[in-house]
Formats: sequence, structure tokens, C-alpha cells
Amino acid sequence: MVKNITIFTTTTCAYCPMVKKYLGAKGLKYDEVNLDENPQRQQEALAISGALTVPVTVITKQDDTKEVVVGYNLAKLAPAVA
Amino acid sequence: MADVNQVPKHEVIIVGAGPAALSAAIYTTREDIDTLLFERGVPGGLAAITDWVDNYPGFAEGIAGLELAGNLQKQAERFGAVIELGEVLKIHDEGEWKRLETTSGDMLARAVLIATGSDYKKIGVPGEQEYYARGVHYCATCDGAFYRDKRLVIVGGGNSAVQETMFLTRFATHIDLLVRSTIKASDVLQKELQKYVDDGKVTVHLGTTTDEIVGENNSVTKVVGTQDGKKVEFPTDGVFVFVGLKPNSEFLEGSGIELDHIHLVKSDENLQTNMPGVFVAGDIRSGATMQIASAAGEGATAALKIREYLEGHTHPVQN
Repeated sequence: MVKNITIFTTTTCAYCPMVKKYLGAKGLKYDEVNLDENPQRQQEALAISGALTVPVTVITKQDDTKEVVVGYNLAKLAPAVA
Repeated sequence: MADVNQVPKHEVIIVGAGPAALSAAIYTTREDIDTLLFERGVPGGLAAITDWVDNYPGFAEGIAGLELAGNLQKQAERFGAVIELGEVLKIHDEGEWKRLETTSGDMLARAVLIATGSDYKKIGVPGEQEYYARGVHYCATCDGAFYRDKRLVIVGGGNSAVQETMFLTRFATHIDLLVRSTIKASDVLQKELQKYVDDGKVTVHLGTTTDEIVGENNSVTKVVGTQDGKKVEFPTDGVFVFVGLKPNSEFLEGSGIELDHIHLVKSDENLQTNMPGVFVAGDIRSGATMQIASAAGEGATAALKIREYLEGHTHPVQN
């Protein structure tokens, strides 16, 4: 079970709305961190994902374990939020 | 051979959801032709990840690629087009039906439109794969924000390279643009680029190959190239690569659909491939001009040709 979801995005990223749309269609709520508006959080996104890219989706489970999905990758995102 | 009673059926399946595919879907769905699109990436394709589109007719001031893609998608969906997020893996000719192996299982279609477009090519130099997404990138609108107040190297000299160089100046302090031969971008883009060169934001290095991307401590530090037969180095925090396009036609290998020598799909004057009932439009078509406007036009043409094909061959689908 998912406890909460955070998505790191940028304003111009085309793949970010795809992740949001997918989660929305599943009825899942999420917090969004737009890195254009919050550039001070870029290092946090990098530390979590190991990649200089967005979207980065962080799924926290009920037991507080985290799964990180880099990019728009349904093969990883779907089971992570199931 | 699939049992047609057991497999989901559609009049038309469109492989891809870029400008050619969405334009075709606008035409087919407006005529109540049941149409399903398969998209493995983002609807809008490369157009969606292009910063700004200045040459698509009807937008006097240009339009953001993401917005254009979103508008095309909304327009197609308004008439009933359905976009399935998944991938078509194989196409088989079973006569009246084409069977598509997809990530959602087998599906049947009376007609198929291949509109899978292209992705950006890699340069194939040491360091490129190693630093992928950690200093080497292919999508400026996705990853540019990580280079605020940093130096960048951009590789390429075509329209995409120049357009995305100008976009990335909003983040980077300086950009070295490495061009293997001469700049091939349109005159308009070259003139725009010159403004950034004059301002000192961009330095263009013509006749410069990119030989290696070098890093240390998990970060890119420089690009090594060759200019006039001499080794040159460009200190940088990241590299964006725009060196041309690679057709998304791998899934057609072994299908019997004829490809040309660079793996683009061959077609006749009706945009039909050598497999009857399978059409092609947009950047993936052999002879395409690789423009968003022409892709959209080809999509519309293909839809009309598909309608003619369906009228001549079929009865409506009954699921």
C-alpha cells in the first residue's frame, strides 16, 4: 500500500504530466516539487534518483520503505504504486 | 493464427501518438472510424519535448512543443480517439485482419497506420553511456533545469541542436556548440543563434568532432574532441546531444514490411506499405521531410487513404 507519493518535475518536461496523469487515473494523490520553482531542491532530487533528470517519482510505502522511479517508466511505476 | 472472436478488434490501430498519428486520428474518429492509438512514450513524440515550434502553420508567434502536442491530443480525443499507453511489438498480416502483438496482448485491426517517428541518436563515444542522465542528456526541456549557472557542451548542428542550444541558454552560463562539419540548421535559426554568440553566451566550434566524454567523481568534467587534426578539450558540467534521428522501426524487423537502407518504412503513393492495409506517415516514412507540419499533413492523407481502403475491403467491426 502506498503512503504518499512525491514527484519532482520541471515546467517544460513533457514526461512529467504523463506521470501525473497516470497517478491521477489510478486515483492516487501526490505532492509535486517543481524544480524550476524550487531550484534549491535539485540536489535532493539528484541524491534520491542519482540522475539529473525529471520526472522522479518517490513512492513511500506504509512501512516507510521507498521506491524511486526515474523518468516516465510505466513498467516500473505501475507495480510500484499497485 | 489468432481467433478473431477472442481478440479485441478495431477498425484502425495507429502505432504512435505523435503529430502524424494524432492528425490521422482526428480524421478517422471524426468519421466515426473506431481508432486506437498505441504510444510507448509521450503523446506528441519529439514535438512534445521540443522547447519551441516556430514553423507550424497557424501559430503566428510560435508555440511551445508541449502545448502543441497537448492540443493535438485533446483534439483527437474530442472526437473519440483512445490512446493506450503501451507498445506494439509485432505486426502480422492475416489477410483481412492485421494482428498486432502488444504489451496489452494481441489485437486485431482492419487497417494499421505506422507513425512511430524517431528518437534522437546517440554519438557512440566513450563516456556517453556511462554518464547517461548523470551529465549526458538528449532532452533539453526535461533536464536543462539541472544546469542553472553551469557550463554546457551541446553536440550537433541541425535544427534541433540550435533550437535547444538557445533554450538552454536560459539556464547555462555558457555553451560550447560542437559541430562536426558546418551548421545545417535553417537560416532563421542560425540568425537567432548569432544573437547568443554575439552576447558571449554561445561559442560555436565548427569542424569539431566529439571523441570522448570525460568525468570524475560521478560527474562529467569535460568533452574531448578533435579540431583541425588537433586534440581539443571543453570543460563542462554536462553534455546535450542532438545529432540526428534514429527511426523507431525495430518492431517491424521480420514483419515483411519493407524498410529502406536507413530503416525507414517504404510506401507507395497512397502511403501504403507493401503489406496491404498497413499505412505509414510522418518521420518514420522513407522520403519524409522530418517536419511537424508535414507529419501532420501526411497523417491526414493517410487517414483518407485508410478510409478508402476500409470502404473497399471491410464491414464495420463488431466486438
